[in-house]
Amino acid sequence: MNTSFPATYKRIEFLMGQNIVEMRGITKAFPGVLALDKVDFSCTTGEVHAVVGENGAGKSTLMKILAGAYRADEGKIVLKGEEVSFSSPREAQRHGISIIYQDFNLIPELTVAENIFLGREPQKRIGFIDNPTLYEGAKKLLEDLGVHIDLQVRVAELGVAQQQMVEIAKALSLNADIIVMDEPSAVVSGKELESLFRIIRTLKESGKAIVYISHRIDEIFQIADRATVLKDGKLVGTVITSDIDKSTIVRMMVGRSLSETFPERRKGGDKREVLALYSVSRIGALRDVSFKVYSEEILGIAGLVGAGRTELARALFGADPIDSGEIFLNGKKIKKNTPKASISKGIGFVTENRAKDGLIQSLSVRKNITLAILDRIKKWFVVKDGLEKQISKTAVKQFNIIAPSIEQEVRYLSGGNQQKVILAKWININPSLLILDEPTRGIDVGAKSEVYVLMRRLADQGTAIIMISSELPEIIGMSDRILVMHDGQVMGELSPEEATEEEILMLATGQKSGKSGAEV
Amino acid sequence: MRLGSIKRYSTTFIVYIILAILVLVTSLVSDVFLSFRNFENLSRQVAPLGFVSVGQTFAILTAGIDLSIGSVVSMASCLTTGLILGREPLVFPVIALVIFLALFIGFLNGFIISKTGVHPLIVTLGMMSVVQGGILLYTKSPYGSVPMSFDFLAWGNVWKVPFPILLFAAVAAISIVFLRRTVFGRYVYATGGNEEVARLSGIKTGRVKVIVYMICSFTAALAGLFLASRMGMGDPLVGERYMLDSIIPVLIGGTRLTGGKGGVGGTIAGIFIFTILSNALNLLDVSAYWQWIVEGLVVIVSVSLYFREKS
Repeated sequence: MNTSFPATYKRIEFLMGQNIVEMRGITKAFPGVLALDKVDFSCTTGEVHAVVGENGAGKSTLMKILAGAYRADEGKIVLKGEEVSFSSPREAQRHGISIIYQDFNLIPELTVAENIFLGREPQKRIGFIDNPTLYEGAKKLLEDLGVHIDLQVRVAELGVAQQQMVEIAKALSLNADIIVMDEPSAVVSGKELESLFRIIRTLKESGKAIVYISHRIDEIFQIADRATVLKDGKLVGTVITSDIDKSTIVRMMVGRSLSETFPERRKGGDKREVLALYSVSRIGALRDVSFKVYSEEILGIAGLVGAGRTELARALFGADPIDSGEIFLNGKKIKKNTPKASISKGIGFVTENRAKDGLIQSLSVRKNITLAILDRIKKWFVVKDGLEKQISKTAVKQFNIIAPSIEQEVRYLSGGNQQKVILAKWININPSLLILDEPTRGIDVGAKSEVYVLMRRLADQGTAIIMISSELPEIIGMSDRILVMHDGQVMGELSPEEATEEEILMLATGQKSGKSGAEV
Repeated sequence: MRLGSIKRYSTTFIVYIILAILVLVTSLVSDVFLSFRNFENLSRQVAPLGFVSVGQTFAILTAGIDLSIGSVVSMASCLTTGLILGREPLVFPVIALVIFLALFIGFLNGFIISKTGVHPLIVTLGMMSVVQGGILLYTKSPYGSVPMSFDFLAWGNVWKVPFPILLFAAVAAISIVFLRRTVFGRYVYATGGNEEVARLSGIKTGRVKVIVYMICSFTAALAGLFLASRMGMGDPLVGERYMLDSIIPVLIGGTRLTGGKGGVGGTIAGIFIFTILSNALNLLDVSAYWQWIVEGLVVIVSVSLYFREKS
């Protein structure tokens, strides 16, 4: 499917002000992925420019290049008419570009004022901080923003919305002309978002250029003058928001460029209930989640980052406790929910972040593969060496893991091969339910399709699979049923035949609530 | 196959090369070094440090540390001599009691660390202070005595080989097998390598830590019993130096302070490097203060060597 747009959407010269920055033909590759492919972007003074796209579209990468956190492989940046190349964020800052990340760059134990001037403290004599000047300066910055925050208070005591304001004040103290905000609405909402918008408008009137990264369509129409849409690292187009409507933007965000092939689904089969959740809640993460999973099926869970999908997976597996609700596995109520108990009942959990909670990097391929089944391959207290080697060698062959030996530490393996080690580890427990959180994130196309084939084969053999994914084509192509989550809740269930990316995105952004998955 | 093995053993390999060079150089500059008498002397020096360093290896492999180890050594030595007071029939009951008490202290360490999540450095430092205070309440100066038979632990020979070195060899061998071959050993590496992954793999990491700190205290009790036998009298401050000395051979041996990597094999080499170095400097009549300086430099140089190899 290839969606085309009127050519006029692309490269519109904007009349409001002068181009303060232009990025031309920016290309950036990471091992295994082309994050950005010849992307153009420009921004004028007094403009709020939204950068939109799905997870992994390349929004943040593009802005990190602008802010000097990454270097582009190709392409150039023209700032105020001069070609520039930043080797560090500090250098970009000196040229008037500031970026505010989702997770902020503040020191919790320092006060608001100290944070604003961190690294640039006014000095009396060499080495002595001139506190009166520092507090005076900070006070003025916050007044200009129309924000009331106690300057003496430690940042740790502030809420996220206020921390965001401190970040903005910090950017202003650096005399930033361009302020990039990386998904600010991911951390604030409601009234706080309103006041953020108010401040953005103030900044805009004073001639600053604001780049606003988001995947929430509503906000873009509220705040942005123009929007640049990215998709799979490519520029889809730059549009004037007042010229278009929401559905056009959604279409631009999801339009497919390359077709992917997924293994065929097998119809029929003898499906039985494996897992059932009734009103499962966890404070701050999950609200009243109910659904069922059957053998021989892949249940896809879609949603945006922060929708509660990973939290759901962790709660199911017993990695985090639940506050209320009931979980039944194979018809039996789960009482004690710990990872150890889950594994012994045949639940496997492939986590989202390989490095952080998927693999033990300092251990070998062999030891990672057998980590969850050591109890089954021991005699007395001793691991059966021969059996363990045999299991690992079989797995390496079966999963096509490319490593010089089973004794190689997993840290030296590529992302795709690391992922296959994790899959081998969990499939070795003979799971009746396998939870996969972003199973193909950051792995190359070849490894991806191997993972798909593997998942389908497992399902055909009777395993129930829950697949969390942010890649909509993957969700639609692989799932037998699709649940969409938003804000800790299940917003609706779709069948892959009726599901479109637009439909999923509507549910995932909370613009529409489908039939509830709670009706089990 | 080859590549993996070389990578894995390279750190241990380096330590043993350093040890070999040290032995070679020392035997060239001192003709006493290779004598039987010196060997006997050395092997009795190695034992107490050897025990505690092997225990410390377990703690460090789980990304922890046990600073209470020295105070448990002192406690074991004082209680042994103080309770036996030369009475033959009390030898075994007192040994059992001392080991039980040590295991209990280790249990408390591990339990507090895994239940509260407070860093082991803090928990064991606090425990060190508690135990040390307890001993000083019990006795402020060397105290107690042991019967002749108890001398065997430190001074006995089995076929002309000093008993303590045999005991150390047994402890080291059991530890190596424990860490390399058993399920528990694998759990130690997994917990130190990445606790969250270990937990999600169904490993009860809290229990692993409890056992590890019990092992630490057990080796400290062994060292304390040995010292009580060597001196014939318990000393409330005898273990003090082991708080930090127990860590040095582990680090020289290539075990990472961040956990998950290393092992007792390297620690053994570290123990011998440490002991031979001070033995050699003694033989050469070098001042004790110079010994400190040299030992400190060896730690820094060897550990930075491993880091180069890593990157």
